[in-house]
Amino acid sequence: MAKLIVEVQDLWKSFCIRHNRNDSLKERFISLFDGRRRERREIFWALRGVNLKVAQGEMVGIIGPNGSGKSTLLRIIAGILHPTKGSVIVRGSVAPLIEIGVGFHPELTGQENIYLNASLYGLTRKEIDRIYDKVVEFSGLEDFIDVPVKNYSTGMYMRLGFAIAVQLDMDILLVDEVLAVGDEAFQRKCLAKMQELKERGKTILFVSHALDLVSRLCDRAYLLIDGRVAMEGVAEEVTGCYNKKVPIQ
Amino acid sequence: MSSWMTGFIGLIRYRELVRNLVAKDLKVKYRGSVLGLLWSLLNPLAMIVVYSLAFQYILRIPLKNYPLFLITGIIPWNFFSGAVIASSEAIIGNANLLKKVKFPLEILPFATILFNFIQLLFALLVFFPAVFWFKTEVTPLILLYLPVLGLQFLFTLGVAFFLSSITTRYRDVRHLTEVALMVLFWLTPIIYSISMVPGKLQLLIKVNPLAAFITVYQDIIYWGRLPRPETFISMVLWTCLSLGVGYSLFRRRQRVFVEEL
Repeated sequence: MAKLIVEVQDLWKSFCIRHNRNDSLKERFISLFDGRRRERREIFWALRGVNLKVAQGEMVGIIGPNGSGKSTLLRIIAGILHPTKGSVIVRGSVAPLIEIGVGFHPELTGQENIYLNASLYGLTRKEIDRIYDKVVEFSGLEDFIDVPVKNYSTGMYMRLGFAIAVQLDMDILLVDEVLAVGDEAFQRKCLAKMQELKERGKTILFVSHALDLVSRLCDRAYLLIDGRVAMEGVAEEVTGCYNKKVPIQ
Repeated sequence: MSSWMTGFIGLIRYRELVRNLVAKDLKVKYRGSVLGLLWSLLNPLAMIVVYSLAFQYILRIPLKNYPLFLITGIIPWNFFSGAVIASSEAIIGNANLLKKVKFPLEILPFATILFNFIQLLFALLVFFPAVFWFKTEVTPLILLYLPVLGLQFLFTLGVAFFLSSITTRYRDVRHLTEVALMVLFWLTPIIYSISMVPGKLQLLIKVNPLAAFITVYQDIIYWGRLPRPETFISMVLWTCLSLGVGYSLFRRRQRVFVEEL
């Protein structure tokens, strides 16, 4: 077996849900005197002992109903959130999380956002210069690249985000339910690109509700339900069991 | 101690990010205005004109070359207050970036301070000739100016670490900061000189870190005399305290920033 590039062991993640959240010092102060205004805290376990292993060059799908912990898992692998318990080992560089509403600054143009985003990875100016043309070409936004991104459509946002992430040449790509936004032509382009990256030995983690895409593209898949791995195995089998395992509400 | 090293190495490794963040602030703030950076001069200029009018001609403060005295204190003060107000936004204002990518978060408050520092340097470029206008002789003490400015940069950075990391939890810290800055302004010898303060009040002003910095600037530029050693020591101690407390709080809290945003 190829080298394990992502190794998640008994991963637990809790969030503190703060009902009646005391967001300001003022509210905090008032709540000292007025018990009804006091913040009520509840611990919510988004991940409950997840184990996951991904080998280099694999494309792994993560499926599951809303709120099952898929995005939390990706964020922990990306190093944005920290585990509450358990360990996550990532042996390689991780590209930006590709998801709807990418981290762009609305007032800056597409070009400026490419430079800002790429520099978040510690790239130098020269390195960014080198990939810049490829990013623009892949996004197909040549005519809008000097327009502030606040004027972009959701689809254009996604194009730019995807284009940056795939051109950064990182070892691991995390894709969170994003292809749904692009038009069909761009969707095909993204899928082809992911295929190409995979052939070049890149590892891809793919969160999606599109079961047919997962079963077609991914080698293996994990089904998450309520923060636990309900099933793992060959992508087609896991997606095939989705409807049996996930109760219809 | 090792966390300080990693923080420092991160700043160097991610220098392109620092550059882009500062450039972003400059563009966002001044894009679409013809005068651009010149706007940042309007505030100190107005303060100097109005305070000169009020304190020199109406209240008759007995300091000669009063506008020069004001310039000496107001420009570093404006850097401090601008940087402190902006720093409360350093983390929450960049939520979209830190929810997406893992990078050294220290860079955000650092870039905010640097942006304000650049505005300060620009203001100096314009106002500094005033020193030669009002004073015929400039002493070599002026060489102390840049090192002291550097110390003030570090002091302000410490405050920025502190404020940016508590604003993620309490969003109204900003309002509190504005009030605190107003109080601090009048407790700092900017429009009056420290020697004019009566004995008992002097103590109040001496525990104010900004007073130490401002009196040193006034000593080396306006009075042309060597600052008192205890003022120097207090400046260094305040800087260590501010960086120490600010940065350790920041390190401790940065793991939860994303969850609080």
